[in-house]
Amino acid sequence: MSVSAAVDQKGVRRVRVKESAILFTISGYPFAIASSAVHEIRSADSLAGSAMEIEQSGVTKVKHLVHRGNRSYFVVNGCAHFGLKTARPTLVLILRDSPVAILVDKIERMADINAPQPLPLAFEGEERRWYRGLSPTDDVIVPVVNPAGFLTRHELRALEEALHASRAEAHAELSGTVAP
Amino acid sequence: MTATSAIEKNSFVLLQLGKRRFGLPAAIVTELAPPVKLHVFAHETPMVAGVIVRRGRIIPVYDVTPILAGKKLPDRRFFLVASRKIDGHDELSAIPVDGECELVSAELFPSPEDSPKYVAGVLAIGEETIEVLDFETLVSTAATVPAMGNGANPSQVGTIA
Repeated sequence: MSVSAAVDQKGVRRVRVKESAILFTISGYPFAIASSAVHEIRSADSLAGSAMEIEQSGVTKVKHLVHRGNRSYFVVNGCAHFGLKTARPTLVLILRDSPVAILVDKIERMADINAPQPLPLAFEGEERRWYRGLSPTDDVIVPVVNPAGFLTRHELRALEEALHASRAEAHAELSGTVAP
Repeated sequence: MTATSAIEKNSFVLLQLGKRRFGLPAAIVTELAPPVKLHVFAHETPMVAGVIVRRGRIIPVYDVTPILAGKKLPDRRFFLVASRKIDGHDELSAIPVDGECELVSAELFPSPEDSPKYVAGVLAIGEETIEVLDFETLVSTAATVPAMGNGANPSQVGTIA
């Protein structure tokens, strides 16, 4: 985060707080996320081999789990999360402080963006959880995503339970094969 | 009632949407913004088309045209900015309009019984009867209208003017 001061036309000194962000798109829509919230960016193809399928969790926007180092991440389909038309995601943003990775279409660029302004109260849907606010960046207003808003506690629990069940099933199958 | 408040009560801004004109109480109208860029992003709130920026403030835009004029947003449009109270806080909101607006003073008559709930009353201007909109009710009416952000073509993120 950086702070800069500018004097406007009326001679009033205004302080602008900036933060480093990654600007990306999903289904053609613009988004930003704080760079500090992203641990790694990978191509979706590079993770395909290590992805484990998650079945019947009830969380339809998550179909896979990937392992990076000693951590696991639920892969959230960005289109499904934001209710957008299905696109062909090519990249995965692996988040730093939550077990979540996001499928996105394209990274536009990295930029120092203005600190987000609160979402107007007129917005009353899930977007209040999705976004930290809106940032006027260059000539575009871009929503700044809330890294903790991709999966609710309830969804995380459902995914962990589904994972546990599928591991138990695999273990049982393996035991059945080996058993005399 | 003072003379000033009486004038305010009888002052209305007439706006054009398609072939029809509607009124809004002048007391809630802040400005008529020129055709500026409508910023569209993903969201789920019904009827909100996106946001515009006026004097550094981010203002949500309600697309009321399907309800009032039975059509999609026009390509070129002005935005009428009005204030509304949400959860006890005043917030500016905008609706797209088709052109210049007019300030009139007239008496507000009760609306016919079969009028939509968002009609607060009617004005008789010459031979024309103009519905005055209840802004709060109008923008909350459209729970059945799908959100514009997610359904809209993102290519419309750009200068509309």
